[in-house]
Amino acid sequence: MKAGSNLENVLRSGAFAVTGELGPPKSGDLGLVRKKARILKGHVDAVNITDCQTAIVRMSSLTAGLAALAEGVEPVMQMTCRDRNRIGMQADILGAAALGIKNLLCLTGDHQKFGNHPQSKGVFDMDSIQLLQMVRGMRDDRAFQCGEEIKGNEPRLFLGCAANPFADPFEFRPVRLAKKVSAGADFVQTQIIYNVEKFARFMEMVRDLGVHEKCYILAGVTPPKSLGMARYMKKFVPGLDVTDDVLSRLSDASDQREEGINICVDIIKQVQDIPGVAGVHVMAIEWEEAVPEIVKRAGLSNRPDPKGIEPVLSSSQSIEKAVEDARKEIRIELEEELERAKTEAQASRELVIKEKEKIASEISDLKKQVEEARTMASRKEAEVQKLTAEIEMAKKELEAKQAAAPSAPVPEPQPPAAPPVPGPAGPLTGREQRVLESLNLGLEALKTVLGLDDTQFEALRRFLEAEFMLQFGQAPVPVTPSAPAPPAPGPAEPQPAGPVPEAAPAPPEAEALVEEPVKPEKPARNKEVVNLVAKGNLALHSGDYNGAIEAFEQALGIDPEDAKAKAGLAEAKAALEKAISAVQPSESEESEGLLPPCPEGVDETWWKEKWIIRYTARGNVAMMNGDYEKAVVEFEKALSLDPENGKAKDGLNRAKNKEGIRIPEAAGAPSVEEEKTPEPAAAPAEEEEEEKEEEAEAAPAEEKPAKPEKAAEEEKKEKPAPEPKAPKVEISAPAGEGVSDLSVTPLAKDEPPLSERAGDIPEDVYMESCSGMIQSVMLGDGENAFSVGGETALPFYNFEGDMPNPPRVAFEVLDSEPEEWPDVLTKYFSDCLSDPAEWARKCVEQYNAKSICLSLVSTDPNGADASPAEAAEVAERVVEAVDVPIILWGCGNAEKDTETLREVTGRIGDKKVCLGPLSDANYRTLGATAMAFQYPVVASTPIDVNLAKQLNILLENLGVHLDHILMDPSIGAVGYGLEYTYSVMERIRLAALTQQDDKLSCPFIVNLGREVWKAKETRLPSDGMLGDQERRGVLMEAITASALLLAGGELMVMRHPKAAALADALVEGML
Amino acid sequence: MIIAERKTLKELLGMIDGCSRVLILGCRGCVAVCSAGGDKEVAILASALKLGLTRRGKKIDIEQRTLVRQCDPEYIDPLNQDAADFDAVLSMACGVGVNFIADRCDKVNVLPALDTTFYGANLSSGEWKEMCAGCGACVLHLTGGLCPVARCAKSLSNGPCGGSQGGRCEIHPDVACIWQQIYDKLSGLNRSDEMKNIMPIRDWTSAGHGGPRRRIREDLLP
Ligand code: SF4
Ligand code: SF4
Repeated sequence: MKAGSNLENVLRSGAFAVTGELGPPKSGDLGLVRKKARILKGHVDAVNITDCQTAIVRMSSLTAGLAALAEGVEPVMQMTCRDRNRIGMQADILGAAALGIKNLLCLTGDHQKFGNHPQSKGVFDMDSIQLLQMVRGMRDDRAFQCGEEIKGNEPRLFLGCAANPFADPFEFRPVRLAKKVSAGADFVQTQIIYNVEKFARFMEMVRDLGVHEKCYILAGVTPPKSLGMARYMKKFVPGLDVTDDVLSRLSDASDQREEGINICVDIIKQVQDIPGVAGVHVMAIEWEEAVPEIVKRAGLSNRPDPKGIEPVLSSSQSIEKAVEDARKEIRIELEEELERAKTEAQASRELVIKEKEKIASEISDLKKQVEEARTMASRKEAEVQKLTAEIEMAKKELEAKQAAAPSAPVPEPQPPAAPPVPGPAGPLTGREQRVLESLNLGLEALKTVLGLDDTQFEALRRFLEAEFMLQFGQAPVPVTPSAPAPPAPGPAEPQPAGPVPEAAPAPPEAEALVEEPVKPEKPARNKEVVNLVAKGNLALHSGDYNGAIEAFEQALGIDPEDAKAKAGLAEAKAALEKAISAVQPSESEESEGLLPPCPEGVDETWWKEKWIIRYTARGNVAMMNGDYEKAVVEFEKALSLDPENGKAKDGLNRAKNKEGIRIPEAAGAPSVEEEKTPEPAAAPAEEEEEEKEEEAEAAPAEEKPAKPEKAAEEEKKEKPAPEPKAPKVEISAPAGEGVSDLSVTPLAKDEPPLSERAGDIPEDVYMESCSGMIQSVMLGDGENAFSVGGETALPFYNFEGDMPNPPRVAFEVLDSEPEEWPDVLTKYFSDCLSDPAEWARKCVEQYNAKSICLSLVSTDPNGADASPAEAAEVAERVVEAVDVPIILWGCGNAEKDTETLREVTGRIGDKKVCLGPLSDANYRTLGATAMAFQYPVVASTPIDVNLAKQLNILLENLGVHLDHILMDPSIGAVGYGLEYTYSVMERIRLAALTQQDDKLSCPFIVNLGREVWKAKETRLPSDGMLGDQERRGVLMEAITASALLLAGGELMVMRHPKAAALADALVEGML
Repeated sequence: MIIAERKTLKELLGMIDGCSRVLILGCRGCVAVCSAGGDKEVAILASALKLGLTRRGKKIDIEQRTLVRQCDPEYIDPLNQDAADFDAVLSMACGVGVNFIADRCDKVNVLPALDTTFYGANLSSGEWKEMCAGCGACVLHLTGGLCPVARCAKSLSNGPCGGSQGGRCEIHPDVACIWQQIYDKLSGLNRSDEMKNIMPIRDWTSAGHGGPRRRIREDLLP
């Protein structure tokens, strides 16, 4: 196989080959070539593409041949020696072979005199035979004509030549053919045959030379389209022998075309019988439609399956087809992906529901258990009462007996098992001994029944002993409340009791129990009183203040002077008050309590703090509105929850003095943070209104305070001035050197509009309006949702177009305690670093975060490698904790992020979060997931315009709308590639706005906090040269943010509250 | 011999337009033989130009002269003295003469009066035919003395093309197909088998495609 072309295959297989001919157009109309190729396709094995036949300028045979090839028709490229010298020819041969052409027909070419440029210089650097030699040399010897080696691919071409059996000298014609074959021709196509008899003679001579065995001979035939054409050919085409028979057949025919086809078919059938003829070459010039019919009638329709027709370049159709196929494939894949995502989501949802049901049933179980415990507790109480009564009875009996035996010596209570009890030593009577033993046994029983621990038991015993001693005038034993733990069988607080013995065994010798002597001469305190006081003390220490008060009051009712009862009452009351003020502030002006019941599952301390903040904030709002009374009320509420709260105190003072509130210096998009608390529904809306009005008046109001010297003013700013505006009130810096004040001075906004400043300069000189528009991407849902993007001008070029949505700051929260954050950063979150939900909440409530970016760093396979489920759990808590839009930012490992984020979405379902980062490695899976939930996504690429665009295109092809994409261009902090970042972002933005490159029109998300805070400049401690560490870090973050805001950043992921406030102030000032 | 043909009068009149003194300079070499630029043709041209100019209402001074050869310094160099004051020298030699004068006589404004056409032979009175192209690599020994380079329309090397019919070249019935003639000639010499040999692709450098050609014979150099 020399070239592996289809023609070569067919000829080698021994099949009777059929080739056709295609004349390229005298124009650049490739469509005509394709049309002709399609007509011939399937009816011939290869098609000759003529090379400016008759020296008329046409589309080159190479070009048209490639077009035919692209249509699936194998070309036989013709090449003449007329127009190119050896340099041009070899160049074309290399190109043709490279582009998939496998047959080359080598011709000398018609003289230029025949064509439309007879003035041209004929090149004829060589003749067709030399051309064959040259190409064969290139193919077989891998050498150019000059002898130089072809390094690399040599042209593999199946070489053909022409032969004219009807030219003169006739006898030389077979010789010339033999020369061509020996020069390299693999096949030959003859001139048009009408004179079959002469052709047969030619073939005879050819066979004599053995040429037919060295090459494949294809007989050339042409259907005469008309008599006129036949005559013309006879007369004007050199070397063409049109027989009289043909002419007469045509002139006699009623349908000359039909007859032309018949003539052609007849000739084919005749030449087929001539030995050595390997095929026919059907030249239906400008009558390609005739070919299928001719081939059919000649019985040659069954063309062997084409082999080796492989276009290197593709036709537009095949490109379309490929694109179509690819689309289909993607669509199917996408649908599967979507389906899978849906099923997964469904499954997760079901799981969640099941989980909830399980929890619900568990809760009800627990409730039941509590109920049971309560019942048990009341039963125990009854038993206690019973036992107490018995002891009481025993005591009375003892007293009675004592009274009956006054001479008995003073007994010393000395329980043998008990720790040494202070008291005079002395022998006990056997009886007393027994009594005490019984008493101890009773107490033991009581202990078992009540499930008391040793200390409690001990305490109880001491009470009894104390009573005992008091009763009997022993040395006073103080019943101090400092007992380790009071015995506490309060009915309201059942101890998680162990199994309670069904029936407490009654003390065995109950009736003989108490025979303790009572000192009759010292009845200073009424026994009842003593009991009541004891009961009161018991209650007091068990936390039953009301019970205690009741008992003490009863005691006082009997003996109003009893000091112990008095003291006890006072103590109980104080305790009660304290308890009330701690748990339930009393001054509930409306019927509701100050602290609404803490929702299930919420930490009570947190709940309380939240309300303190809330009340303080309300107070501030009221104060700003001039409603000082309301403010006072609110601050007092806050103080009643936490009397030590400095802010509330301060607010209360100012409210009382009607000082009002200083207008906030922090301008960063003020909004009422309390709104973010989960449940108040009606209030926030109102407050927001108020806020807005307030905002409107803010600026002028600020000017009112007597204008101090500028320096003084500046100084003031430096000081941690009391925070003026509601949201800012809550912002405070933890003690530290660097940044003492998180508030930011707003930028002056009173600039006259640019048009005024421009003076006489006409607008069109400085205005350059853009035709593009940035997509507006909606983040989050609910009332705190916001959009970013939507600009019709460069960032902050408000004079040229719109910037409808201010850029926002998202606070970065890590899903696990940060390991490498410097102290100057962590100190703001020190109380919540280990709890991402709490952390997020703090960002929102104290630092005014409009959005949270939760970095799932713990999932990094190179780090903690937390499981997707763990991360999802954290994410879920954060999503539940705050109401602002949340960006879930994976660890950056494409595979892991796919798992993690899918897991998360399964859990949070419809709650709108933004997923990122999507890279080219996982955009499909995550894109599909995001689409299923309509989440926006972060398209993350290395910093490059084209890569960014590419990923957007991929996502769009997937079906993710551009208005759901945030671009993360990958940024560098100041000193770490900021200028490159800036330039790339700027170019992206310019492309989107001025070149309508909508694939780049997505807003930017700029994850800068992590870049800044990993720079060593933010890590190095404060020193004389580099200055204060915190100030340095804040400025680095703020400067990076400012630059990237100007470059087009729309959502800035940041870390330091002060830097965030600065960025906010910049945005506010510039809009 | 070098065959040449006088340019048209119109063209020549255009060339000397504006000149007041013109020298018509003939050559007694090839151009005299092929009746294009000898004494006779010089006189005819001088008269024709005068006539033409007169008809255009112009009057110029025309002088006639004919050199033995214009391709030899011996005859050319004196022009430096006695032709410098002519506005133009209209050379009736072949292109060689014109070039040579231009080369050697700085002050002389030399113009061609002839188109130099080919190397040909005089078939009969008044008919000349190209025989050689001066290709510098003669193959006549292979072709029966008949030149395919000069006489085949496509300068073929390996036999007649498919357009050869009845001994005529495909380009025109008036043109003989030299390859038919070569075939016949070699056949007549019983050398027709030589036609089976493939003549290799030619090296055209000697044909002028390698730049201006020159010839040196060391033994004759001064
Ligand atoms: S082959 Fe060359 S040198 Fe010989 S006659 Fe022809 S053109 Fe002249
Ligand atoms: S017909 Fe003869 S002379 Fe004319 S181009 Fe063909 S080979 Fe040459």
